[in-house]
Amino acid sequence: MLEVKNLKASIVGKEILSGLNLSVAAGEVHAIMGPNGSGKSTLAQVIAGQTDYEVTDGSVEFLGKDLLELETEERAREGIFLGFQYPVEIPGVNNAYLLKAAVNAKRKHHGLSEIDAFEFLKLAREKMAMLGMDQSFLNRGVNEGFSGGEKKRNEILQMAMLEPLLAILDETDSGLDIDALKAVANGVNSLRDPERAIVLVTHYQRLLDYIEPDYVHVLSGGRIVRSGDKSLALELEERGYEWVREAANA
Amino acid sequence: MKATGLNQDLLRAAVEEFPADEFSAARSSAVAKLAGVGFPTVGDEDWKYTNLGLAAEISNGWLKTIIANHGAIADQSNSEQVAMICQEIDAHWIIIQNGIIASDSLAELDGQAGSGISLSKLEFADKDDADDDAMSLFNVALLRDGLRITARANATTDKPIGILLADSPSSAVTQTRIVIDVGDNAHLRVVEYNLSVDPGRQFTNSVVQANLASGATVDHVRIQNRADDHVGVNKVTVNLDRDASYNHNSFDLGGALTRNDVITKIAGKGAAVNLNGLYLATGTQHIDNHTSILHLVGPSTSEEEYRGILAGSSQCVFNGKVIVSPGADGTDSRQSNHNLLLSDRAEIDTKPELEIYADDVKCAHGATVGQLDETALFYLRTRGLGMDEARKMITRAFAAGTLSTLAVTECQDHLAKVLDQRLENLIGDGQ
Repeated sequence: MLEVKNLKASIVGKEILSGLNLSVAAGEVHAIMGPNGSGKSTLAQVIAGQTDYEVTDGSVEFLGKDLLELETEERAREGIFLGFQYPVEIPGVNNAYLLKAAVNAKRKHHGLSEIDAFEFLKLAREKMAMLGMDQSFLNRGVNEGFSGGEKKRNEILQMAMLEPLLAILDETDSGLDIDALKAVANGVNSLRDPERAIVLVTHYQRLLDYIEPDYVHVLSGGRIVRSGDKSLALELEERGYEWVREAANA
Repeated sequence: MKATGLNQDLLRAAVEEFPADEFSAARSSAVAKLAGVGFPTVGDEDWKYTNLGLAAEISNGWLKTIIANHGAIADQSNSEQVAMICQEIDAHWIIIQNGIIASDSLAELDGQAGSGISLSKLEFADKDDADDDAMSLFNVALLRDGLRITARANATTDKPIGILLADSPSSAVTQTRIVIDVGDNAHLRVVEYNLSVDPGRQFTNSVVQANLASGATVDHVRIQNRADDHVGVNKVTVNLDRDASYNHNSFDLGGALTRNDVITKIAGKGAAVNLNGLYLATGTQHIDNHTSILHLVGPSTSEEEYRGILAGSSQCVFNGKVIVSPGADGTDSRQSNHNLLLSDRAEIDTKPELEIYADDVKCAHGATVGQLDETALFYLRTRGLGMDEARKMITRAFAAGTLSTLAVTECQDHLAKVLDQRLENLIGDGQ
């Protein structure tokens, strides 16, 4: 589904990704771990289309298409979803309004008619109940005054409504208490599907207790230096990142 | 640029040609007071950013026509736009065409707008005209008609009173004058709609004076949707007695050059002033909002928020003055001005001013100027929204903030519609 080959990206002349390779197939859950500054968020942002980063080399293919040729919104409509590490507050833009516009933008792209208002509300309420979100969130400004946990739940709500083919969740576990973490993990797990791939970008192993990955990759210095199954995450938890860094440099 | 001034000789000669009526004496007196004063210039601190050269040029041309036609002023007819507005905003409508009250609208409405509410032609013999600034004098110097709205004690209206200033360049210069007297504990809701029924160069100058007795409330929504060539100067003066409240929402959407002065005086304890404004400008539009809130006594409160969205090479001005007089302890005043610049050629000159001469007061003010948040745009695009749609969503949300304080909800739907149309233009012109 996603093929990243020798990807190099920099921001204001500073190289962050230095030849990254990653292959993700439908139905798989990948965890990308690594110390701060290793390039985890950059990878997520580049795949979503953040133009602050300049791709200097390599390629990214999504379902056989050259992803780097597509605008951010086109990538989203094709089925890529980025769950933000810091979801953006947009005062005055109603949450339900954005959800509906997003759902309809995607439907339009795929030649479908706009979602029926009743149908939309039913679907939104269902997903919110699953995430333990109060209905009142629909009528609030997007992330406006939300707590850290509420923002992350709201990201998962958007993901659940948009049903992406590839979901990249950037530090979705950061700043969550145990209840919120469980609710978020529950939401993510409910979307596990043979047709869908999920990439979890995380610093800590904690999230992986609740969302079990098929593959774990360790990112260091802008490259994946080690890949394995979920036991790699446990090993990291025990031995820290320094161990991987040393192993990579050896 | 060479400033054009008002030609006083033409003014005197034209006013002499006016047919004699109940305003004759007031006109002559105003002409005399205006002599040697003239229109304000950019040399005046209060008019630093707003050049009335075009207003003077239009005025001089028009005065010549009046002299040539021996005082005859062209009238104009009703338009489809007028009918549409009257239908879309549920109100008791009074139509004022180029400063003249449409004869049937008053007769129909007097006594119908609510018990205790009377509508009449302005009689100028009283002391309404206390203001002697140049534009107020110019208003009286060329005055031909005026409207008086009186609400007796405890009066209320079932629907707002709508005042539609339907101006047309058939008369290139127009004066409108409205006096509102509201008795003890009465509640009056007013929608003032400033419209150009035809395109073309025109200069309109309006004066609204409101006097609020003890416990009275006035909700005043002003919607300015003028044609591209329009030059408008509008002054609202409000006096508040004990426990009175004045709630003002202004929406400036059109016009080539617009200058609004809202001057409020709190003369009674417990009174409250709420001023809210939104201005949308693009092309070479110029919109200048000057407000003044004078707290003569305390405790009293004032709250003000103006928002602007600027595209193209537009230029806007916000000047909000709050004065707390000696002894006006217990004054609580908050003021803010927020601007969204969609183009790097647009300019906003914003100046909140606080003058505090009392000890026990709470005053806060602030101004912001910003562009569309790139992070927010990216966020919306990752949700599948196109660039234009994302820009529109954020811009619309910024504007919608001013609708939440709307004192006359009957305007809500119409305003949402015209704001949306206008925002489309701004976003199209944005970059």
